[in-house]
Amino acid sequence: MATPVFFGVRHLSPAAAHQIRKKLDEIKPDLILVEGPSDLNDQMHWFCHPKTKLPAAILAYTEQMPIKTLLYPFAEYSPEYQAILWANENKIPCRFMDLPSHVFLAISEPEHEADNSSMTTEVVYNQLETMLEESHDTFWERKFEQLSDGYLEAAEEFGRQLRLSAEDSPYRQAENHIRESYMKRCIVHAQEEGYETIFCVCGAYHVEGLKHNEPLSDEEEKSLPSVPSNITLMPYSYYRLSQRSGYGAGNMAPAYFELLWKALCSEKPENAGYEYLTRLAAHQRKQGHMVSAAEVIEAMRLARTLAYMRSSRYPVLQDLRDAAITCMGHGQLSELSVSIANVEIGLKIGELPDGVSRTSIQDDFYRNLKELKLEKYRSPESLRLDLDLRENLKVKSEKSAFLDLNRSFFLQQLRVLDVRFGTLTKYKSDAVWGESWFLSWTPEAEIELVEAALLGETVKLAALYKLKDRADNCTEIAEAAKVFEDAFLCGIPKATEYALSALQMLSIDTAAIEEIAKTAQRLSYVIRYGDLRKFASDSIEPLLSQLFLRACLILESSCICDDEAAKGVMESIDILNRVQIDHDFLDETQWISLLETISNRDDINTKCSGFAMATLIERGLVDETLLSTEVSRRLSKGVPADLGAGWFEGLAQKNRYSLIMRLSLWRELDGYLSSLDEEEFKRALVFLRRAFSDFSPNEKSDIAENLGEIWGLEPEQTANILMSESNTLLDGLDDFDFGDI
Amino acid sequence: MSNVQRLPAEQMFQNEIDALIAAEKDPIPTGWRMSPKSVLTYICGGKVGKTEIIPKYIGNKRLVEICIATLVTDRALLLIGEPGTAKSWLSEHLTAAINGDSTRVVQGTAGTTEEHIRYSWNYAMLIAKGPCPEAMVKSPIYRCMESGSIARVEEISRCASEVQDALISILSEKRISVPELGIEVPAQKGFSVIATANTRDKGVNDMSAALKRRFNIVVLPAPSDMKSEMEIVKTRVNQLASGLDLYAKSPDDDTIEQVVTIFRELRTGATLDGKQKIKTTSGVLSTAEAISLLTNSMALAGSFGSGEVDAHDLAAALQGAIVKDEDKDNICWKEYIENVMKKRGSAWLPLYRACKELN
Repeated sequence: MATPVFFGVRHLSPAAAHQIRKKLDEIKPDLILVEGPSDLNDQMHWFCHPKTKLPAAILAYTEQMPIKTLLYPFAEYSPEYQAILWANENKIPCRFMDLPSHVFLAISEPEHEADNSSMTTEVVYNQLETMLEESHDTFWERKFEQLSDGYLEAAEEFGRQLRLSAEDSPYRQAENHIRESYMKRCIVHAQEEGYETIFCVCGAYHVEGLKHNEPLSDEEEKSLPSVPSNITLMPYSYYRLSQRSGYGAGNMAPAYFELLWKALCSEKPENAGYEYLTRLAAHQRKQGHMVSAAEVIEAMRLARTLAYMRSSRYPVLQDLRDAAITCMGHGQLSELSVSIANVEIGLKIGELPDGVSRTSIQDDFYRNLKELKLEKYRSPESLRLDLDLRENLKVKSEKSAFLDLNRSFFLQQLRVLDVRFGTLTKYKSDAVWGESWFLSWTPEAEIELVEAALLGETVKLAALYKLKDRADNCTEIAEAAKVFEDAFLCGIPKATEYALSALQMLSIDTAAIEEIAKTAQRLSYVIRYGDLRKFASDSIEPLLSQLFLRACLILESSCICDDEAAKGVMESIDILNRVQIDHDFLDETQWISLLETISNRDDINTKCSGFAMATLIERGLVDETLLSTEVSRRLSKGVPADLGAGWFEGLAQKNRYSLIMRLSLWRELDGYLSSLDEEEFKRALVFLRRAFSDFSPNEKSDIAENLGEIWGLEPEQTANILMSESNTLLDGLDDFDFGDI
Repeated sequence: MSNVQRLPAEQMFQNEIDALIAAEKDPIPTGWRMSPKSVLTYICGGKVGKTEIIPKYIGNKRLVEICIATLVTDRALLLIGEPGTAKSWLSEHLTAAINGDSTRVVQGTAGTTEEHIRYSWNYAMLIAKGPCPEAMVKSPIYRCMESGSIARVEEISRCASEVQDALISILSEKRISVPELGIEVPAQKGFSVIATANTRDKGVNDMSAALKRRFNIVVLPAPSDMKSEMEIVKTRVNQLASGLDLYAKSPDDDTIEQVVTIFRELRTGATLDGKQKIKTTSGVLSTAEAISLLTNSMALAGSFGSGEVDAHDLAAALQGAIVKDEDKDNICWKEYIENVMKKRGSAWLPLYRACKELN
């Protein structure tokens, strides 16, 4: 029986991918074994499907909390992938040989276990980096990616030395031992089946173990633990690959490695450098930066010299990038950073054909699409969908009567899960019963959907989990109110209950008036339109009353503030006022007496007092006499001009039209101004000017008309005089000392 | 010879250069005295045979590699950075190692003329003999072109733009024409230029895009961490102290650490742990200043004090280095003394007291 051929690789290594094909052509094995979960064998053929576009990944995850995951990402230049492709082209059987995912997940190391060992593989890598003064990736590229042959021997030796010098935690060692024994078992089984030349593709680290370990016995195999889990193929993206999520060996520059792979395939490895630099230059030009061809040439020459100084045959990514920064970026990485990200990482996203094994959440998603008649929106083109959430009375079945509502629930759930399928836009009218979405389907959304599988079996359950999680992490009531609103929009009663209790708990703590007002506003919205989404709002009425009471209690003291904060307070008064009008169960008498107190007090921010007055006017609770008394009291000669004007500014925030119509008000103002002496007038003018600054020209001319009537002048004449006079008045202010204002 | 205030690098480190040349194994580029790898060893330190090579530039080794590689490709090199980031220092040592001659320098000032870049005439001889090669006064750059070695241009951004322009044709054509004599001198292999420029200073002429394009630009950063900055300060202070015959002991590690800490904190505008914000001063407070500050206080201690740098010497030197723009800097410094230094515990107490006295 011939010994199997072991090809130790680095995952995601173009040179390994290139040489593995050569080696396969040379050996022509009759079975290929690949390091990968052996329970995925029946789905391996999807990798060879003509519609499959890499990058893709194998994802395994436990069904129960806490969820553990396993991820094997593959790119076009993965040696494992090329081996699988070769097997398919040559009609040779090919299998995965690693532990089945349900076993692997059961034995894999708990995530946060402290690693006490002093010589982990990480540490060895770090030592290597200190010694070479280069990153481990660059070292690998320099030493291994440029080998024209002998990769197999070199990688094997590297793996052997790594095993000798590194000592991982006992847990990890045991894990590796079990994996290697299991793989050995697969190899022995294959040999017993009668395969002559077996070709094994595995991580370089494992070669030594596979050669010398004993295979797992039947009893041992039976005693392996197992957890309920799922396994699936999913599309992947270069961006995610560069993040190194999943297992350690991702790579930082997937798009560059693809260039390297293509250059190797065309037997011209030096092309990768040319391609990289010209692409970088093209990107720079696209963004409007001048990059001449001469600079690209200089960068290439510099990169080559750098490579020469490090004794490598071709410039590696680090050399190319440093050279580009020096020659094209004027020595600054920041000038090139966007282009570098584009050229090194790229935007490539994988695709899998329809019908590839799906996670339950994907199944649920497609079932929902069908049920809600949304299938035609599953296209890359962005399509608009208008929803009318009201019951459709023209149809018979309940299902179709509430079709749009259920669609909205579904889309909102996806939004909560951050699956970018639909974006909510403004509905054409302000109607609360309508929603407008732009729907488009991208592979990125598919990836996000698969990732959501970790949160729950169905879209709804995943959304529920996510909302609960968010509710648990809330620290402010405004946050909790947002979660509550989201839960309400998703139409998941369990989530709304949960968010509500979180909200209740937080509402006991002290909070600023604005936060309370905004929360009250959200709750009010849900109470008013709850039935539209078939939501029973009775449960939140007590909470709203509680919040409203709290707001009433702290509002008065909140009004003692500076002008900056007064803006927020005025906004809160407005919101609370509207909430009170909308809901009868909130105490009206208390609210109005509070407004009166604020309006009457002299020792709080006058803007707030003015605004409270305006609110009372709006509710029809202030008669002409009261108003004119108040105006003359607030704007009297002794009161500092800024306070008086501030009050007026607050007053003028609301119902301007009715203010303008009240002649008595302007008479009072006129009387106030004429009572001032020159210096006082100048001060008052500055502040009043600010108070009137956001009046529209029409409103201003109406005021001018009023004043004209008071002064007994022709309306138009007054307006003209005012316009011209205001300019001369402003000139006069040039000498005015603004220092103390 | 020993009375020279400051020896050029190639003489100061003669034995290191000789050792490197003797042990050379790699191919040597035309016009160079050692291989690029040996130049790297000379600058960044290492060991050749039995000779220990002192690191000249402490910091990112990769930047030095880029500099050397640039010179191998016969491109000109431009070193940019804030004052005191060892631009001139690096340029001097590069030329010392590559050509064994770091003295061919054009000092860029507002008064530098085109003649300083190209050539001028010995007018007495010009009048006596008319234009002839003997009457010509060649610039350092001219001489480097003839000999195929590397010229240095210091503070290039201080030169007027027409003077900078004179470099453009030299760098792109690699030849210089002398119309008076009707000759054209081509640059020999190995010729290149290392220029340095400041980013922080006022009154600097911007470099034209055309000129920048002819340089490979390397930006030298301020030392990235406390440890490497301390190492730089320590090595340089010791070197200087032995060269200048200061009759004082080298300051101990604690003193150096205090000075570097103060400089780093005032430079970045925050305490080292990042917990407290500090006003920054108008000066750059570079590593180079920290070095001269320490040698100053050594001189003070040696000449007027106990021979050991104590808190009073240091406080006086710190005051002088930090407070440059009277009002603003003084406020920053006083705030720093009260808000940061005072709370640092017993090790800082003597320095705090001494600084407090001065203010």
